[in-house]
Amino acid sequence: MIALRDLSLAQGEGRLDPLSLEIAAGEIYFLLNRPGLDRLFAVLGGLGRPDAGEVVFSPGPTGTSPAVFIDRVGDVADFETEARIGDWLDFLCASCGYDRACVYKTLLVCGFHERHLKKKARELAPDIFKQAYLAVGLAADSPNIVINDFIRGAEKGFELKFNKLLLQKKALGRAILYLGNDIFYASEIADRVGFIKNGRLLFEAESADLRDMDIKDLYLKFLN
Amino acid sequence: MLAFLRFEGCRIFAEKKNLAFFLLIALSAGYFTWSGVNEYRRSLAEREFFVNFEREKTRQIATYAQYGTFGFRILYETAPLNLFFVNSSILQDLESNIDNYEAIRIDSSFKGDKLFLMRGYFRDFAGILFVFGSLLMLYLGHLALGSPPYLRFLAGRMSLVRLFFLTTAARLFWLDLFFLVLVLGLFAGVQAGGIAFSGQERTVFFFYLLFLVLLLNFIYLLGQLTTMLVRFRKTFFLWFFVVWFAIIFLLPELSRISVFRKSQSLEPAEKVNLEKFRNLMAMEKEFREFLKANPSTPLDQVRRMQKKFAVQFINSSYLVNTGLELRYLRKVGNVIADHERRSVFFPTTYYLFLSGEASGKGYHGYLDFMDYIMKLRNRFMQFYLKRRYLEPDSAVESFVKGSENIFRSRSRLPRSYVVGVLVTALYGAALLLLAFWSLQRQVRRS
Repeated sequence: MIALRDLSLAQGEGRLDPLSLEIAAGEIYFLLNRPGLDRLFAVLGGLGRPDAGEVVFSPGPTGTSPAVFIDRVGDVADFETEARIGDWLDFLCASCGYDRACVYKTLLVCGFHERHLKKKARELAPDIFKQAYLAVGLAADSPNIVINDFIRGAEKGFELKFNKLLLQKKALGRAILYLGNDIFYASEIADRVGFIKNGRLLFEAESADLRDMDIKDLYLKFLN
Repeated sequence: MLAFLRFEGCRIFAEKKNLAFFLLIALSAGYFTWSGVNEYRRSLAEREFFVNFEREKTRQIATYAQYGTFGFRILYETAPLNLFFVNSSILQDLESNIDNYEAIRIDSSFKGDKLFLMRGYFRDFAGILFVFGSLLMLYLGHLALGSPPYLRFLAGRMSLVRLFFLTTAARLFWLDLFFLVLVLGLFAGVQAGGIAFSGQERTVFFFYLLFLVLLLNFIYLLGQLTTMLVRFRKTFFLWFFVVWFAIIFLLPELSRISVFRKSQSLEPAEKVNLEKFRNLMAMEKEFREFLKANPSTPLDQVRRMQKKFAVQFINSSYLVNTGLELRYLRKVGNVIADHERRSVFFPTTYYLFLSGEASGKGYHGYLDFMDYIMKLRNRFMQFYLKRRYLEPDSAVESFVKGSENIFRSRSRLPRSYVVGVLVTALYGAALLLLAFWSLQRQVRRS
């Protein structure tokens, strides 16, 4: 369970009026905001502090982190470590205590070829690198997952693989909070959707209800 | 820690351009060491020529009057360790002539093949490590933490403190290891090639190596901090160049200009020589006036007078002149001590000072050389005056016994070495903490 209680971020980019939300286990909640929710994502990830309110993640089994955070990959060059992807994954498994089998299982589901392990980040196509990134992101067996606009710019093939993984996690009872601005993708994947405009949560809808609504109209109203 | 060591090892050594840089440094350092060995061997051969020449010259001298006029030369012999610091030394190939002339002369020859010994900054083993090593460390410091998105990604998976300090420690471990293996390998290679170092020289070299590693770590941390301060922007490379130029060239040059300005407060050496010459001529004048006043003085009385004046010269004018020279040398020593104190304040300026001293041809080498010349000259003057005036008819015998006319320079550590190390370590610690503080702000802000 992920709970945001009267969480507010003061004036400036990514301003947020007091926001209360609760995402249950096994639920995907999509929070939509046109300029994106990078600041909220940083606060959820503990890299920033809210001006008021709190974030609560239900604890997982002992030794696991309460939540995993998967950010958007803007430019693969940002992740260039000059080491091979295989070495990078080994390092992350060893230093973060991830189960290698879990990482490689995700890679298999994504269709990541073994030869890519010998390449460096800069030598991989963005979607291929994202597979490795995702494998690390989902490696920790955490009850809560927070994702920030991860699918932006991805090809359909990658999006489908990602959806498959996300639905697997949902089936395993993970609470998933997705931050982004893609209403069409939200309508495909989410159980509930919230619209933020000018820092305020203006509208919430169940996914089933969303399908009956005019998505273009919603887009123009809340995200334009 | 092992995971960090392994990963950083892969990051550093799996990258072809890094390997090319390592190879360039290794080859250049190897080449300049080999060149240094050749120069050292040449200096040993020249030493033999010098000794034989001086021996032959003395044999040709017929009277002590001639011996006093021509005197003999002293050679500043290069210490074996100098082969690593051929161009980092302050002094070049030096020699001095000891005769009955009042001025102490120290010369450097540019005759024949010596004309082509082009000396200049950084064209030696120590210089290559300083210039290329600093470039490499600055660059690898820049690459250490990747980018803000990468840091944000990792910060969600491990603590920033752990990530920062272990990454820094692991990268410094591999880079230091590279430089240690390279330098110790070349040192061992030189020894295997037949150059013998004394225990004291080995100690000096290992302490030099320790400071080199500290300096390179400082530069690595500076690269890391610069990247943080320019917020990983592409303009880093402009700042990279500015920082590198400032620490490698600008600050040492400012330090050199500063010591030069300080040295302007010294009275010119020519003035001291003139003063000494006046003292000598005053006595000569007195003797001439005595002869003018007593033109019919018998020869044996003139000789007795000469003896008297010689004794008087040793007991008065000569002592005064030696005092003048010592006082001047003390003033030079003060300028050197001041320069040493100022060098300590920045690692790169201190590295250059340390290299000069380790070469055996540094400022303190000069002071030692002057001290040696003055002692030898003192003995020579007594020898010369005694033989010329007390035993004028005896056959000319060489004053030089054994290899007294060879001054063996000594590689040494400056007295301020511990302070220099501590200051550099403090700079490093400050840069490390500043970089971490800046990193935290970056990650939170991004």
